[in-house]
Amino acid sequence: MSSIRKFEKPLGMRDTFPKIFEKQENIRRTGREFLQLRGYDFLKTPTLEYYDTVGRASAIVESSLFKLVDTQGNTLVMRPDMTTPIARVASSKLLKEKIPLRLAYFANVFRSQELEGGRPAEFDQMGIEIIGDESVYADAEVVLTAIDLLKELGVEDFKLTIGNAGILDAILRKNVRTEEQFQQLHQLLVQKNIVGFEEAVAQFRLPREEEETLLNFISEATELKSIRQISKYLSEKQALLYMEQLASVLEIADVAKYIDFDFTLASHMNYYTGMLFEVFASGSGFSLGNGGRYDGLLKDFGKDVGAIGFGLRMDYLLEVMPKREEVKEDVLVLFVSTQLKEALEKAAALRKEGKPTTLQAIEGLDDLAKFEQQFSAVVRIGQGGNVQ
Amino acid sequence: MSNTPLTIAMPKGRIFEEAYDMLIEAGFNLPEDVEMSRKLMIEIPEENIRFILAKPMDVPTYVEHGVADIGIAGKDVLLEERRSVHELLDLNISKCHVASAGLPNTQLNEIAPRIATKYPNIASEYYREKGEQVEIIGLNGSIELAPMIGLADRIVDIVSTGQTLKENGLVEYEFVVDVSSRLIANQASYRMKNDRIQDLVKRLKKCVREG
Repeated sequence: MSSIRKFEKPLGMRDTFPKIFEKQENIRRTGREFLQLRGYDFLKTPTLEYYDTVGRASAIVESSLFKLVDTQGNTLVMRPDMTTPIARVASSKLLKEKIPLRLAYFANVFRSQELEGGRPAEFDQMGIEIIGDESVYADAEVVLTAIDLLKELGVEDFKLTIGNAGILDAILRKNVRTEEQFQQLHQLLVQKNIVGFEEAVAQFRLPREEEETLLNFISEATELKSIRQISKYLSEKQALLYMEQLASVLEIADVAKYIDFDFTLASHMNYYTGMLFEVFASGSGFSLGNGGRYDGLLKDFGKDVGAIGFGLRMDYLLEVMPKREEVKEDVLVLFVSTQLKEALEKAAALRKEGKPTTLQAIEGLDDLAKFEQQFSAVVRIGQGGNVQ
Repeated sequence: MSNTPLTIAMPKGRIFEEAYDMLIEAGFNLPEDVEMSRKLMIEIPEENIRFILAKPMDVPTYVEHGVADIGIAGKDVLLEERRSVHELLDLNISKCHVASAGLPNTQLNEIAPRIATKYPNIASEYYREKGEQVEIIGLNGSIELAPMIGLADRIVDIVSTGQTLKENGLVEYEFVVDVSSRLIANQASYRMKNDRIQDLVKRLKKCVREG
């Protein structure tokens, strides 16, 4: 390996320069106000967690975890998601105080990358979790919050694709013979490989009826006119009734145009048990975020309650946000050392008006003209325009 | 949104022509003769389609990043590149297979068998599944040279008629996987332009020939 140059960073790590920092800050501020008004409480959890608790329970594949060892020899992970640490906090403490909980976070998460650039290994996520509410209204609230948050941020052209992990599992299991076959088909759907799915079904040499059911399902479920079409693939209709209820709540909320149902949607996040969704918007080739119901995860931490949430990725969100040219109104107050008092007063007055004001001694500048160009207004204290 | 053109990443060369003919057969209003000698981008305003012409190995990369909405890529490339894209339709064109080949009547070297290939991921996956420890040597072309001059015991490469192997005195040893061209889609485009992409899939599906 070639030696590391001074400017290099580890693979997937990014700097956030001032302009991007401001944009992120805006998103964070908008998001925080928006979620607070909806009754969500913000919290923070540590960057490092035990591998044996959060590391294992998290749905992020082992090879993506950043691991380190503490002085006692315990393996630690840098948190790969926020849902798992929140499940830990909620079950050990917060649920004793309030149920259901509505929690929100804004945090960086870490997932190591083996491939080339274009995919950060550390990124910010903004998200919510509702813990302790198993009703369909919690599902609806999460979906509606995601939609309204995107609108609040100025994203117009977006889609939420909604599926259901439980329904998909039931349909696949009903029509295959072995657990391996189920796993194989499920994995192919996670990989979005329709061709592979059809080939695998043909290879299994299932009874004709099962084979046809699976093939029909895969073509019908990707292009649903109505959820009821799925009914014929299910013997146990409970979960489907739930989804129909969700659809009608979303209809009432008048958000149907942002929503597509696709019951082949499968996630690599294996803790999802019920409804799950992915968010896409024009402007980014990647999923902005995802969410869903994970009723099993809290059990890992000793509390048997249902939970649901979503997270949006800051980096992809920035790509799809309307490009507004921020007009920065900043003032430069230049002074010579003898006029320090006047300069301090002038700067204080400008700052009181709310104008970002930079106070700079002329003695400290090598190239006055070049520095001045960075500001929208310049005030010179002292020798007027005659300096230098 | 629906007014932005559908960007299709196509591999240069033979697959382009076969796939292009399929699109015409599927009823897309495309010029019969398309001048593609040096061009990298072709606009078809009548259909609101834009083609970008890429190296076959790069098609999944353009599609994964969303700079192309859909693309046509060989299964060999998809297996090698492992990009996160929707694989929607087997076009059943440009068929061939990946195989291992070498000089006739030779065994793998017992200590450190060497495999030369331009598909290091496919090759190492294949031998790992077989439980065979091999060393992979990455090459970019003229793979057949490797066994001839003693760089490797075997090569892993695509074989269509077997003519190239024969001309270089090599024989096929093991079949690895079947290859044909697939229609792939970016995950966001698949959702945001679902109507257009589903329409394309349906129309192309009718033109897919069996066998």
